[in-house]
Amino acid sequence: MTYEKHQFHASPILIEEIAPGLRLSLRVKPAHRATLARAMGLDLPSRVGARAAAHGAEALCLGPDEWLITAPEGAGLPKAARAVYSDAPHSLVDISDREITLRLSGPAAVDALTTCCPRDVAAMAVGTAARTVFDSATVIVWRDGPAEFRMDVWRSFAPHVRALLAQVETEFHAGL
Amino acid sequence: MSRYRIPGKGRVDHGAPVSFTFDAKIYAGLRGDTVASALLANGVHLMGRSFKYHRPRGAVTAGSEEPNALIGTSRGKGRFEPNTRATVQELRAGLVAESQNKWPSLSFDLGAINDRAYMLFSAGFYYKTFMWPKSFWDKVYEPVIRGAAGLGKSPTEPDPDHYASRYLHTDVLIVGAGPAGIAAAMAAAQSGADVTLVDENPEMGGSLLSDPAVQIDGKSAWDWIDAQLGRLRAAGVRLMTRTTAIGYYHQNMVGLCQRLTDHLDSPPKGAPRERLWRVRARQVVLAQGALEKPLVFDGNDRPGVMLAGAAQTYLHKYGVRVGDTPAVVTSHDSAYHAAFDLADNGARVAAIIDTRDEVRPDLLDGARSRGIEVLAGHTVTTTTGRLRVKSVRAAAVRGGTVGGGRTVPCDCLLMCGGWTPSLHLFSHTRGSLVWDGGGQTFLPDRKTEEVEIAGAGRGLWGYDPVLADGAAAGLRALEGLGRVGHPAGFHVTNDRPGTGTSHAELPTDGNPGKARAFVDFQNDVTAKDIRLAVREGMRSIEHVKRYTTNGMATDQGKMSNINGLMIAADALGKAPPQVGLTTFRPPYTPTSFGAFCGYLRGETFQPTRKTPIDPWAEANGAVFEPVAQWLRAWYFPKPGEDMHEAVLRECKATRASLGIFDASTLGKIEVAGPDAVEFMNRLYTNPWTKLQPGRCRYGLLLGEDGFIRDDGVIGRLSPDLFHVTTTTGGAARVLTMMEDYLQTEWPDLDVWLTSTTEQWATVALNGPNALRMLQPLVQGVDWNDFPHMSCADCTVAGLPARLFRLSFTGEIGFEVNVPARHGLTLWTALMEAGRPYDICPYGTETMHVLRAEKGYIIVGQDTDGTVTPADAGLDWAIGKAKADFVGKRSLSRPDIVAKGRKQLVGLLTEDGSLLQEGAQIVLDPDQQTPMKMVGHVTSSYHSTMGHPIAMAVIEGGFDRMGETVFVPMPDGVRKAKITSTVFYDPDNTRLKA
Amino acid sequence: MLLIHCPYCDDTLPELEFTYAGEAHIARPADPSALSDAEWRDFLFIRTNARGPHYERWRHVGCGRFFNALRDTVSDRFLMTYKAGEARPDLNNPTLTREAAE
Repeated sequence: MTYEKHQFHASPILIEEIAPGLRLSLRVKPAHRATLARAMGLDLPSRVGARAAAHGAEALCLGPDEWLITAPEGAGLPKAARAVYSDAPHSLVDISDREITLRLSGPAAVDALTTCCPRDVAAMAVGTAARTVFDSATVIVWRDGPAEFRMDVWRSFAPHVRALLAQVETEFHAGL
Repeated sequence: MSRYRIPGKGRVDHGAPVSFTFDAKIYAGLRGDTVASALLANGVHLMGRSFKYHRPRGAVTAGSEEPNALIGTSRGKGRFEPNTRATVQELRAGLVAESQNKWPSLSFDLGAINDRAYMLFSAGFYYKTFMWPKSFWDKVYEPVIRGAAGLGKSPTEPDPDHYASRYLHTDVLIVGAGPAGIAAAMAAAQSGADVTLVDENPEMGGSLLSDPAVQIDGKSAWDWIDAQLGRLRAAGVRLMTRTTAIGYYHQNMVGLCQRLTDHLDSPPKGAPRERLWRVRARQVVLAQGALEKPLVFDGNDRPGVMLAGAAQTYLHKYGVRVGDTPAVVTSHDSAYHAAFDLADNGARVAAIIDTRDEVRPDLLDGARSRGIEVLAGHTVTTTTGRLRVKSVRAAAVRGGTVGGGRTVPCDCLLMCGGWTPSLHLFSHTRGSLVWDGGGQTFLPDRKTEEVEIAGAGRGLWGYDPVLADGAAAGLRALEGLGRVGHPAGFHVTNDRPGTGTSHAELPTDGNPGKARAFVDFQNDVTAKDIRLAVREGMRSIEHVKRYTTNGMATDQGKMSNINGLMIAADALGKAPPQVGLTTFRPPYTPTSFGAFCGYLRGETFQPTRKTPIDPWAEANGAVFEPVAQWLRAWYFPKPGEDMHEAVLRECKATRASLGIFDASTLGKIEVAGPDAVEFMNRLYTNPWTKLQPGRCRYGLLLGEDGFIRDDGVIGRLSPDLFHVTTTTGGAARVLTMMEDYLQTEWPDLDVWLTSTTEQWATVALNGPNALRMLQPLVQGVDWNDFPHMSCADCTVAGLPARLFRLSFTGEIGFEVNVPARHGLTLWTALMEAGRPYDICPYGTETMHVLRAEKGYIIVGQDTDGTVTPADAGLDWAIGKAKADFVGKRSLSRPDIVAKGRKQLVGLLTEDGSLLQEGAQIVLDPDQQTPMKMVGHVTSSYHSTMGHPIAMAVIEGGFDRMGETVFVPMPDGVRKAKITSTVFYDPDNTRLKA
Repeated sequence: MLLIHCPYCDDTLPELEFTYAGEAHIARPADPSALSDAEWRDFLFIRTNARGPHYERWRHVGCGRFFNALRDTVSDRFLMTYKAGEARPDLNNPTLTREAAE
């Protein structure tokens, strides 16, 4: 389990890598969305960016036929989905190791994201998420609170994203 | 106290002296000064030399439009910056500044010989003078021109500073925090909209800072500014100073450059020097004011000649009297106020020379009461003074005739040729301009963006109309957001309204051919040059600009464009709007490269992708090479080994026993769903229906044009699930192509695609001992049914794994995929288990050599987007029975089936030497140049067989087996024999072992 | 940098989230083998290269979808965007012209 923490005294921003859990990419046609949601016991919202949670699992709608599901390790969702495959054909791929997740929190969290995200991060509603870009890396930004975000970054791009964020942290500590 | 500083006056801190050096001499200034204001306080007007004639020059402005006073500033190693405007650079403790374009010194400069020879250096002199003799170009002209060219000294060291950037989304962006901008911000902020107000100066207030006697709503100008800024701050308006709007782009995106540390004595550690803001505003208000125009007359460039408004700014903002006995020459009312304010602060104004016959009575009264002589209906014909203006010659103009003149002694000359609305940013949007005949200037016309222009930018003059216009613009911006606000009114007393007229050159009784009447100060363009350009046939203002270089200086024509236009129009006998303006382009003022780069320099210049196994490679001395965005382990040299020796050792160890290779960068795509096999059949050239689960197959992907796009081994894990691999560089491209077909051509198919490139870490094992070594570590595989080209989900070294049996080396081979977090664990476990077999880690170079020995192609190296499967000898990978697949129709196109296409073959040199990749191939080395080239070398390596091998594409290559071709290389022509591409184990006996 | 409306996300977002994907409404022939060499050449290579309104495809990184757009290549403005598979909008449609004028 990797768990890394950069902590500074009275930090305007805290950037942590959070421990990996189960992460699944679900693809299914809209007509079979409800069947699958019922089988997994997890709502699959239809609006891009919307999230739904149940029993420690969470589904994020990334596209009209695409959901990202996070769940504790060992959750029974894949088995439940497989059981309805013939009625609701779909693809459910384990991508737990594809991305690493950073948590950004603190009063400067929004500003930190605006250094490299062209999207209006401040306008994101709490409880939504979006696949977007951070510099040239594709990321998923989750807004969990007014000053609390998660960012999923493809593993091989993580050194680049972290190096950028390190510069941004220095900037905030310099106060300019 | 400096000689020209007025005690207690201005916005500078008289209790905070700051010392700095200029050309190695120490000067005292005050906190709040610019370099220019501090030098002027010390009586120094001479601040630089011009570019072409090396004429002595002083500051002509007090702002960012300054063309003359360019200095080099430095702050220790790597922090030298040329061409900084002394009028903008704020004083900081220990600032080191130097003048430019001079040698040996600013007051005695040998380059000024150019000034004596000015008749030689007229417009277009480059094109005329350096024509002949031809041989002089390389040896004489170019070196001399290069030596003389360039403005300032280029820094030679890397910039050690940090630069930052941000995106900002705001409802209303207001550019310029003068009276119009502040009024607009007040109006826009009243309904809770998100408002951003930016100004390039250290303080907000704009022209009001130079007009403290004006009263607004019963407050003095400065008190009013403080009160309004306080209210804006309280309303949550974002106020940004030292922030220049440098460019205005599509859909209200405005670039801002914010200068954060150049004014600080010692910047905080780690602070960025500048920050580039990319602002997306729903509404923009441009309140950038107007720029004062110089007048064009002989000797208008001597140090001490400056704009009247600049003198007023030095007086009120910095408490500096620019001279004791100023003279004034003007065609606009505004210069009277500069004269009056200077007179009221201890200067003896020598005269006000007004080009107009009629002067407003209250201005005449103001002059009379101060004892200032007004010479109405007069012109200026020349000035005197070498390093500082000493006198000005004024002459009456009666009915177009210049009468006898008189000399007016002075120590500075304040000029005003009227005001030009600052519409540069508006022009960036391709907004059109319209000529205002009354004001003799261009005004904004048709808009292309959600933008309002307010105040002096619309040609308005006087604080009362400007404030009202700013408030109205702010209100309109608010309405554009769908919000409502209330109109605001302002009560202005002591206002300073004004009007003026415009001129080309001022009339003179001197010889116009000898007049040194400057239009573009920095580039030394005179009125005579512009008229010459027109005489020599330039008709378009764009041609005049390029022929004379007028407007091409670092101020981008802020000082010179309108004067240049008036003169060109006069010479062409056209009205100014018929001649038009040159195009304004970003940036508005010179901007550092650092600001544009932001974070994208050094290690974060671009992403460097790393695999989970790279830490091991780094710790074990690997040399890395860039492959797409990855840095991959290239080879693992042992102490004393060069690359060639290391690669040969790695190759031999793998062929002899066992090699291990990090293949994690391979693209991986999961193709899943009931229609997966149908999708694969349509996309790849190969047939997939009969591929059994647990088996894999080489897949070839074409574009619709029939050319090879990508390849890779594809495993079928279950009837509905394929594990596709792609080339490292092609991963994203192939997935996009697949998604494109799926979404837009075949949306009916029940199949989905997921990138798993980074889900898996992939370790390749190759060599005759690969199977023996791996077998004990694997659980869940039936080895009796796991031949070459098999795949299975299983465990390896106790880790969940997806195992492929395949070979890219010609030896027995495996690729072990495990979840990325376990990649390093797997690698170390395999290294440990491989020890009895002398397992050898190898890098991409050995991978390349081993595959080339077997004739396996690399897409993108042996193919270049014009190679078909047949050209590459890959016909066997085509499902001939399939009715269709992507690219199939193109394989029967006439040019694809024509004879003489370049085909992939092997090459062996006769003398056993190594060919260069990319070298061209000819059939006859003795033919005349340019030779007929029939192909090129695509791959070339030293091999394990004791001689180098190469692959090449050659016209009709398959029919030339055994023939000799010639490869011209820098050190001589090589003879090479055409062979098969398979150099090693052509019968694949080693794979079956 | 342009702003682009994604018809799947129903949101107007910065261009950096999008990639251009060529001219729109060029469907792959159902049976390419039935096409003459000249017809196949036209499908592969011949494009309108419009000066003015241009039907084109973009892809949004956010939702991963390809969609169609009508963009004026002179003003660089998007007149509208619409989902893949929807009919090509009529250029003479007055609503469109009005949007174009704005």
